[in-house]
Amino acid sequence: MKLIKKYIPLAIVFTFGVLTLASYYVPHKVSVDYTELVSQWENIVYAFAFLLGLISLFYSHYNKIARKADGWGYSIFVFVGFLAMVIPAYISGGKQGSETGITLLGWSFRYIYNALSSTMFAVLAFYIVSTAYRSFRIKSKQAFVLFVAAFILILGKVPLGQIIWDSVLGWTKCGVSDVIEWIMSVPAVAGKRGIMIGISIGAIVTSFKIIFGIEKQYLGKD
Amino acid sequence: MDLLTHFWTWLCGFFVITPAWMTAGAWLAAGLTIFLFSFLYKDNPFFKAAEHLYLGAGMGWLLQVSFYSVLVPKVWEPLMKHEWLVLVPSLLGLSLLTQFIPKISWISRYGFTFLMGYGAGLAIPVGLSTDFISQISGTVQPLSMMASMTPWMIFNAFLVAFGVICVLFYFFFSVEHKGHMQKVSNIGIYFLMIYFGAAFGNTVMARFSLLYGRFDQLYTFSSSKYLYATQFIVIGMVVYFAIHAFFTRGGKEPEAAR
Repeated sequence: MKLIKKYIPLAIVFTFGVLTLASYYVPHKVSVDYTELVSQWENIVYAFAFLLGLISLFYSHYNKIARKADGWGYSIFVFVGFLAMVIPAYISGGKQGSETGITLLGWSFRYIYNALSSTMFAVLAFYIVSTAYRSFRIKSKQAFVLFVAAFILILGKVPLGQIIWDSVLGWTKCGVSDVIEWIMSVPAVAGKRGIMIGISIGAIVTSFKIIFGIEKQYLGKD
Repeated sequence: MDLLTHFWTWLCGFFVITPAWMTAGAWLAAGLTIFLFSFLYKDNPFFKAAEHLYLGAGMGWLLQVSFYSVLVPKVWEPLMKHEWLVLVPSLLGLSLLTQFIPKISWISRYGFTFLMGYGAGLAIPVGLSTDFISQISGTVQPLSMMASMTPWMIFNAFLVAFGVICVLFYFFFSVEHKGHMQKVSNIGIYFLMIYFGAAFGNTVMARFSLLYGRFDQLYTFSSSKYLYATQFIVIGMVVYFAIHAFFTRGGKEPEAAR
């Protein structure tokens, strides 16, 4: 039992890990075909993994409705929203547009999903402003540097900010957009590169640990 | 059977998008937008309903995407052509669903280990080439082309290289940060702060551009063409909050509304 519960899964990780790693560096038709095939397989498995999440979500909200838990009425809207996208998708065959204009799926996407998702992210603008108020209370030199970088970025991307910059610092012959470009391509790049190098080292080490079966927490408990 | 076909044809005809559908869509979009914005005043049932609707709509959208762009072309159609190899990833995928049956949930390991193995195998070369080597080469390469660079460009190239080294020192925990090590890592913090500040500024502006987009759409929906959808819904929300405030005056707010 230990063989099929533990060793075969670990062998699958090792096999696919080593083959995928090797195929990246082997310029041969076989490795190209392998990469294409396994990439397709991954898409398929991810599609089923999505179903796992979907069923889990539905199960949780169905339970809330069945038990009449606090706020159970809102759970009905989860199913309403789901059907509002899936039924039009079925009727439209998954197409958002046709020769005559938008399909029912396109309509649902534009007036339901897009309206909801963009507003949800737009609402965050207000919270970011309140966060900015807290984070911009300059308590140290580092916080001052963060403030200046963020302030210039924000100032330079609104017309009013550009006018203010030009009237106050116009004599320097250095536009705010030039300063932004310099920040983004020199000091910010240095910070970003340091982080990215650190992340990549961490990701590579963790990947090796997974391939060689050192890291196996994802298997769960026996 | 004929009756069913006729019904289906009639149903599909009903769902042809006409100007009336567009007006209904405007009312729906304006309503959902205002319901979500109403949270800025305070938590309320309209916001919660819209929030749950978003969750469901998001899942519905992703399902149709994975159905029409993965499951149909990559599983169903090959199976119809008797390409049995797709059964392998399909079975691996189906194995994930055994998570719901505790007794055989171990079967899901087969699907997960495939994803982990493939992901780990891909993460190493991708991480090496895009994040590790290309970042180092991007830092070092300008230093090898100084003959064709202006003094300002040379200064920038050195500043980037110096900044990267300082940031790496800051993340290097194998040695205690004391003396010169501490000084260098402290300079690294300044470079990190500039990056965080710039990232923060960009995020703020991206969110605000979304906000302008929503306001612009609300303005569009406030026209007579859309039967003043925005105005009517805003007035409705104001009336709701006024009535709610009137009836809960002096009383405690219900737990769920807080």
